[in-house]
Amino acid sequence: MSAVLVTGATTAVGVAIVSRLLAEQRASEVLAVGAEPYEAVRSLFPHPGVIYLQADLSHPRELRNLLFSPVKQHRVETVIHTALHRSAHATGRRVHQLNVESTRELLRLCERVPTVSTFVLRSHAEIYRQSATEPELLDERHPIDLSVSAAQWQRDRAEVDLLTCASIGLSSLQIRVLRCADCLAPGTGSQLFDYLQSQLCFQPLGFDPMLNVISLEDLSRAFALAITATGSGVFNIPGKDTLPLSEVIRKWGRTRVPVPSALLSPLYWLRNRTIGTDFRYDLNRFRFHYSAVMNGSRAAEQLHYTPQVPIEWPAPGIDRG
Amino acid sequence: MQRMSRTPSVLHFLARTLLGKQEQEQLSGIDFLDEGHGFDIFGLHPDWVKGMVAALQPLYKHWFRVTGHGTENIPARGPAILASNHSGMIPLDGTMIYSDVVLHTSPARVPRAVTDHFVPGLPVISTLYARCGTVGGSRGNVHALLDRGELLLIFPEGVPGIDKDFRDRYQLRPFRVGVAEMSIRHRAPVIPVAVIGAEEQFPVRLRLPLHTFGAPYVPLSPIPFPLPVHYHIHYGQPLHLYDGLSAADADDPVITAAAAARVQESVQALIEAGLKSRLGVFI
Repeated sequence: MSAVLVTGATTAVGVAIVSRLLAEQRASEVLAVGAEPYEAVRSLFPHPGVIYLQADLSHPRELRNLLFSPVKQHRVETVIHTALHRSAHATGRRVHQLNVESTRELLRLCERVPTVSTFVLRSHAEIYRQSATEPELLDERHPIDLSVSAAQWQRDRAEVDLLTCASIGLSSLQIRVLRCADCLAPGTGSQLFDYLQSQLCFQPLGFDPMLNVISLEDLSRAFALAITATGSGVFNIPGKDTLPLSEVIRKWGRTRVPVPSALLSPLYWLRNRTIGTDFRYDLNRFRFHYSAVMNGSRAAEQLHYTPQVPIEWPAPGIDRG
Repeated sequence: MQRMSRTPSVLHFLARTLLGKQEQEQLSGIDFLDEGHGFDIFGLHPDWVKGMVAALQPLYKHWFRVTGHGTENIPARGPAILASNHSGMIPLDGTMIYSDVVLHTSPARVPRAVTDHFVPGLPVISTLYARCGTVGGSRGNVHALLDRGELLLIFPEGVPGIDKDFRDRYQLRPFRVGVAEMSIRHRAPVIPVAVIGAEEQFPVRLRLPLHTFGAPYVPLSPIPFPLPVHYHIHYGQPLHLYDGLSAADADDPVITAAAAARVQESVQALIEAGLKSRLGVFI
């Protein structure tokens, strides 16, 4: 049992990972890194094994200080990197710096810290290309969406994944990339969760694709298993729930409104302008048309991860906001 | 709280009104891998299968008066591939094979028809097909289905088969080798299938060169309905193309081409036998 560093620790995913690592005694102590001051996030980490570190990862100097001081001092062996800008509307150099350049720098610095041996990245199923001609069951070799028209939110995620994958075999670290299904929980950056915040959910008329969603419990368990695994690799992390989009909407207690595809972009643009939500239809256009379900057989074989905890669908009459 | 999936009541209505008691019993035992919400990983839902078979009953039973020969050749379980000739301008032959197999296998097996690439892009049809068990024709999909022990329905001629002119009826277009490759790799027997009758259902055909949603053309006919031809579906003896071969041989183009030719010969032989044995196009 050794110390683990978790970036993005103040997000819902980060908090779940930190709690699980300590509850299951998979880490002697966890260095939780977040951008917020400690006073603002104190209640998130009641366990005495958590050492909270405030750092802005987009600043190379802060990253360096983090790696060559507390990480070295606490003899951290594993770094779990989950920090990514969650807002789908945030764009620009600063966002790219946090998403991509900080990951590149973090990887580079981890190689130079002698105690660090393992690097685990939280990647996303959204990086996979979806179209009518692609298989509906996505394995790790499925094409990545590298289209020039893709939004920065998507491009940054693809770039982070690929730059980490490129380090496998080049780096002295054991690198594991976990491409996780959409986590249907607040504060996870889930586009689907934000989509379901509206009472009326517009869906492309004539299309009802199959989706796979993961609970926070399963997501954190996958990371707990990943830190004790051996070797490097890329792993799809599916969730327990595989169902059509219409069923997701119904189970969430929302009303489904089928609308011709051409009208969805303007409708969701209008929704964003008036209500200010984070859901972007352009990021989800393909997944709302074509089925995409993660094939998790590699994670089952090598990480011993199989999804176990289904989504807790809201009880009828209870709003999940 | 777990809430079961809700299927449109029209499906239950169709099943109740169009299926006999025996057929309803047959369809109550549909075998599929439920992912937890009543759907399989590709979106198949047994109520939709039931509804589709019921909706096709007027065509299957009364219009085309389908007669199946040799359904006992379809394995009761495990991966297998139905390889059929394709004809008739629109894929009614696929729907008739689908109904015939679901109704005459025990336990009821849903043939997973593999469609051309453009089909998952068609609104409404893509969803309807997925709920009834059809999948897009990508390599990943068919391998996943065979890994799960499913029964595939493939038309190895592809669109050129269904697009034939009337004068070329019952002459097979070259078979694609994918069917042989899959059979060898997954050790899945191929059951040759010959559909007799479909070639005559639309004797006059037109093609609108419209490529809506990626379709190669839009088929048209001056005859508004298919002619009430008598369909005969012949299922041949299973071909074990993988005998004496290893999974790695599926990569050998010479082996797969020879195996595909063997499948084509078997289907052509079934067609010849079927044409000889039928009494007439409408009888």
